[in-house]
Amino acid sequence: MGMMMDQSRLFGGAVSKPKNIFATLAQLATYFRPYWLLMLMVAVLLLGSTWAQVTQPDLTQAAVDCYLSPTKACTYAAIPENTKDMVAMSFDDKVAGLAGIVLRVLALYIGAAIAGGIAFYLFSWTGAHVIRQLREQIIRRIHTLSLGYYAENEAGNIMSRVTSDIDTINQAMSFALISVVGGAILVVWIVIKMLQASLVYALISFIALPLMIGATLWLSTLARRAFRKSRAEMGNVNAELQESLSGVREVQAFNREQENIDTFRKTNASNRDVNIRAVSYTSALAPTLDALTYLALAIVVCVGGLVVLGNKTFVDLLGGSISIGLVFAFLQYVQRFSQPIQQIATLWANIQSAIAGAERIFGLIDTQPDLVDKPNAIDMPTIKGKVEMVDVKCEYQKGVPVLRGINLSAKPGQTIAIVGPTGAGKTTIINLLPRFYDVSSGSVKIDDIDVRDVKAATLRKQIGLVLQDSFLFSDTVMNNIRYGRPEATDDEVIAAAKLASADTFIERLPEKYQTILGERGSGLSQGQRQLLSIARAALADPRILILDEATSSVDTRTERLIQKAFEKLLAGRTSFVIAHRLSTIRNADMVLMLKAGEIVERGTHDELIAKKGAYYDLYMSQFQRLEADESAPAEGTVTTAPQGA
Amino acid sequence: MGRGGPGGRPGRGGPKQPSNGGLPRAIRYIGKHRRTAFFAYSALIIATLAQLAIPTLLQNIITAVINGVKAQSFLAMAPGKFRDALIAVQKTSLAQLTTDANNAQSILLSAGAIIVIFAATRGIFSFVQTFQAETMSQGIAFDLRNALFAKLQRLSFSYYDQNQTGQLMIRATDDVEKVRLFLGQGMLIVLQAIVLIVGALLLAFNSNVALTLVILPILPIAFVLFLGFGAMAFPLFAKVQIKLGRLNTVLQENLAGIKVVKAFAREPQEQQKFDIAATDLMQQSIAITKRFTVLFPLTQLIAQVGAAAILYFGGREILSGDLLLAQYQTFSLYLIFIFLPVAQLGFVINIAAQAAVSANRVFQILDTKNEVADKPNAVALPAVQGHVEFKDVAFRYFGNSDPVLAGVTFEAKPGQTVALLGATGSGKTTIINLLPRFYDVSEGSVLIDGHDVRDVTIDSLRQQIGIVLQETNLFSGSIRDNIAFGRPDATMEEVISAATAAAAHEFITGFPEGYDTPVGERGTTLSGGQKQRIAIARALLLDPRILILDDSTSSVDLTTESKIQAALDRLMKGRTSFVIAQRITTVLKADQILVLDKGKVVASGVHKDLMEDSPIYAEIYNSQLVGDTHEASDAPIAATPNAQQA
Repeated sequence: MGMMMDQSRLFGGAVSKPKNIFATLAQLATYFRPYWLLMLMVAVLLLGSTWAQVTQPDLTQAAVDCYLSPTKACTYAAIPENTKDMVAMSFDDKVAGLAGIVLRVLALYIGAAIAGGIAFYLFSWTGAHVIRQLREQIIRRIHTLSLGYYAENEAGNIMSRVTSDIDTINQAMSFALISVVGGAILVVWIVIKMLQASLVYALISFIALPLMIGATLWLSTLARRAFRKSRAEMGNVNAELQESLSGVREVQAFNREQENIDTFRKTNASNRDVNIRAVSYTSALAPTLDALTYLALAIVVCVGGLVVLGNKTFVDLLGGSISIGLVFAFLQYVQRFSQPIQQIATLWANIQSAIAGAERIFGLIDTQPDLVDKPNAIDMPTIKGKVEMVDVKCEYQKGVPVLRGINLSAKPGQTIAIVGPTGAGKTTIINLLPRFYDVSSGSVKIDDIDVRDVKAATLRKQIGLVLQDSFLFSDTVMNNIRYGRPEATDDEVIAAAKLASADTFIERLPEKYQTILGERGSGLSQGQRQLLSIARAALADPRILILDEATSSVDTRTERLIQKAFEKLLAGRTSFVIAHRLSTIRNADMVLMLKAGEIVERGTHDELIAKKGAYYDLYMSQFQRLEADESAPAEGTVTTAPQGA
Repeated sequence: MGRGGPGGRPGRGGPKQPSNGGLPRAIRYIGKHRRTAFFAYSALIIATLAQLAIPTLLQNIITAVINGVKAQSFLAMAPGKFRDALIAVQKTSLAQLTTDANNAQSILLSAGAIIVIFAATRGIFSFVQTFQAETMSQGIAFDLRNALFAKLQRLSFSYYDQNQTGQLMIRATDDVEKVRLFLGQGMLIVLQAIVLIVGALLLAFNSNVALTLVILPILPIAFVLFLGFGAMAFPLFAKVQIKLGRLNTVLQENLAGIKVVKAFAREPQEQQKFDIAATDLMQQSIAITKRFTVLFPLTQLIAQVGAAAILYFGGREILSGDLLLAQYQTFSLYLIFIFLPVAQLGFVINIAAQAAVSANRVFQILDTKNEVADKPNAVALPAVQGHVEFKDVAFRYFGNSDPVLAGVTFEAKPGQTVALLGATGSGKTTIINLLPRFYDVSEGSVLIDGHDVRDVTIDSLRQQIGIVLQETNLFSGSIRDNIAFGRPDATMEEVISAATAAAAHEFITGFPEGYDTPVGERGTTLSGGQKQRIAIARALLLDPRILILDDSTSSVDLTTESKIQAALDRLMKGRTSFVIAQRITTVLKADQILVLDKGKVVASGVHKDLMEDSPIYAEIYNSQLVGDTHEASDAPIAATPNAQQA
């Protein structure tokens, strides 16, 4: 279920516009700092490859000017200064000269290709390492954040940061960024060359540039808005998929397939329509820039042509005449710099969403854990089992107290049963022991040591936990049991499984202990999952044991096995049990009746029954139910207890 | 309804390796969007031809300028014999030159205007081309998702036992998107490249055959190279998808099981596990990068080598006088249109390889044979009385040799309650899963009112069976929608009366929005007990003749539990009921008790007989009863075996 939720958030929650571009980029840059030498190499290689790209036309021009149609413009070093000598050159000499230039061109091309290739590889390699580092930081942050964080933030949202946000950065890192940087260098280079050649003519050639930038910004803004809607629609598609897939058994049981298919079709259609709308903006971008490029070309050739033809207005404007060769060169320049501009424009969206993704990831990485070991925290000594809560108050949200002054004390080896209605604070009490949360005021002490004064890991290692939802990992049965004590031998694992009465069913699995469990232990029944989680807790051999309603939903035989396993597990350990079974409650050394964050009654089962208070009422409601059962006509096989008692 | 089936079977995650050939099949989907595709590709041809025309137009302007300058310089010369001789050499006349000189500017301007018109035409048509192609690809994605969804909704439980929901969702979203990207953008680039290359080649041939022949061999070399890269990249991308899946599984488990991770202080080991997966993924993507590090520059280089070759061979021809410089320049413009698309094709390889991987993954689901489907001649099951019969039923998972059920035979008369008892993994869930045909029997048959469940339509069968299990999924929508889940046309009165009977009316009306309270993922969170009562109301509203239920109550407080039990009892009244029994009272009231052990019915009968005949039953019964007797001793009301035998 959790996984599904994640998927639905993957597309649903993303915000694509970065808020603080420079701060985010600066933070991202720190990740590249260890690779500065590589980045320097990338920069040098890119410059080299760009240089090769801008130099090549000069060589071609030299081939024309010096050999193919010799003119004074020939500046190629190997040629004598005198034009006549060139004209007088023999055919073979000319071909040899041409071949020399062609070889240089080839060398440049190959050099540029190698330089560009190496730059691409080095940058991608670095990018892959940075990505891995980001991922690893995220999992570490996930581990240090307290459970309170997870109460407020959906796991799906976090999941999407590690998957889709990382993915956008990944894409930008490898291809987009290198193209943009390379393209930008090229543009600047060409612009400088054009300005040097003829300032005014260059400026006229740039007339279309503001239009291009304006069109890019306008269309990408429109597209971004539309894509935001499309993400929301995609979120709906995901939500419906998730719901229908995880609930597929119920869907089939209630014959709802066709209805669901029809509903999905509608959601899917509106997703399609929103996307088509968004795409209408992005589709317009490339053709607009393309058309503007041709407009620029037309301007360059017309203005240049008019000047060459001696149109007075334009000659004055340019402050002198220009050669037809320059017009030809400008045509090429404009074509060459339009290409990277178009590329940058189309990749702009990628880069923006990468920055936005980085921002979200840094948001998670920079979240300060609210629950950290004190600097002078000590290792928790071996726990004897005395547990004390002194005036404990706890609130997850300011002003909404969950616990309002809990006092309790458990002697080593005692079993404490906690009962009460949903929302009374039972789970919160047991969450405070392994310090999943911190108290708002008061203190939780184990063996007279405040849990906040010790290293959380050393504390938690000594506390066993069996939750109502027995979470298992998709790993072997062996490794799942070994989870709490990685160094345990196979024999110890098997012994723990036997203690938990889990070995019988494990032996029936196809690969026995080496059977790999499915997602969250799927393929096992709830009872089997519970037995495994008991075995897991048993192997960890904790000093304090916490059981959360773990016995509630299995068949009677399994339950008896579980009960026996518990008895063995509880022996000699201080235990806290959120109990629903009367037998558990009855065997407890103390029953705490919780209501609205307060302990309203405490004592043994018998004492509390005698008191005829809240616990008695709760207990009675159970028997009212039995009474209702018993009074139902059932062929006289049932009788009521008064005469039996 | 979390369980796939009885225990003892490992849930091996991950769908099987997909087969090949998905991409051509995905391309055939274009056929369903013929109109859009036609517009897209027609526009593409027009836009591309306009693109091909523009260099020629520019060249014409240059020629006009050169002629104009030439004319001007002749006209500027002093009139006389020398000028006349020169004019004669140029095979022109003074009048012609005057016209050239005078018209040069207007020719220039009108050619400029034509370029702008062509640019606009190209702009408009390339917009149409992209927009229509995207519309088409969105349409195909829509088709694929619908098909996947419809398929997934109808696949049998055994499919879901083998496949993880998360993985299936990735296929319906991410994989469909990758296929879409290729069918939209990728195909456009491919077609555009083909049109450009063919068009430019024709123009090039027209311009200079010899030079065209020089560059011609480069093209097949490039294509072979690209296909080679594509074939090489394909399995690498497939591996990336798998490794990404592994990484996400670790992450997902750490998020979902964060409490367990923390409780066992396993953070370092989990981090290590994650790091290994992340490094593995990184290495895989670097392996791909290596291939593309070679491919990308190579595609550029191919074009550039072509240009260099033309420079050399064209230059030779110019030097030997066989070619004019202007012709060479025009030719080299066409060259760009041959080699630029070649480089683009290299880029498409990337998209195509990913799309091919994804298409296979998508079609793998669409091709899955549904193990449980209506027979061609299946008839609707008439209104049932509730007579249920299992005849020598055996059941195995996926052809496993170990049967989960073997030789199960029993009969339930209309209105009877059948209690199923047995240890975890004994086959109880399997028996109840066979009734609504969530699985098909491996041997034997399941009959309802004498009809084999495999001979009737699934819809008509399931409509008449109500199911309440421990874990209840609610769906997005209001509480009312959820209660009316199996009968969307139910009236409000019917919904309320079902909710009342299920002891749910009280808490529902306690919500500010009552029955309109939104629930599900994006709505109010209900407690386990509340969900269960809604599940009971949902089954009650169906008013089924056959009822399947699990009478255990999951993690609710005692008061709620008693309410739920009472509601369950009301639900069972007058229906043929199959109960996975957790309660003594259910067992005592049952008309028939089936005691299961390792997939076999080891004892059956009523409580009284079983207590005498079946040690296993007695054991199960007593293990529960011990607690109840104890209860009875300090409580006023309880059921005890003593009392009953008395």
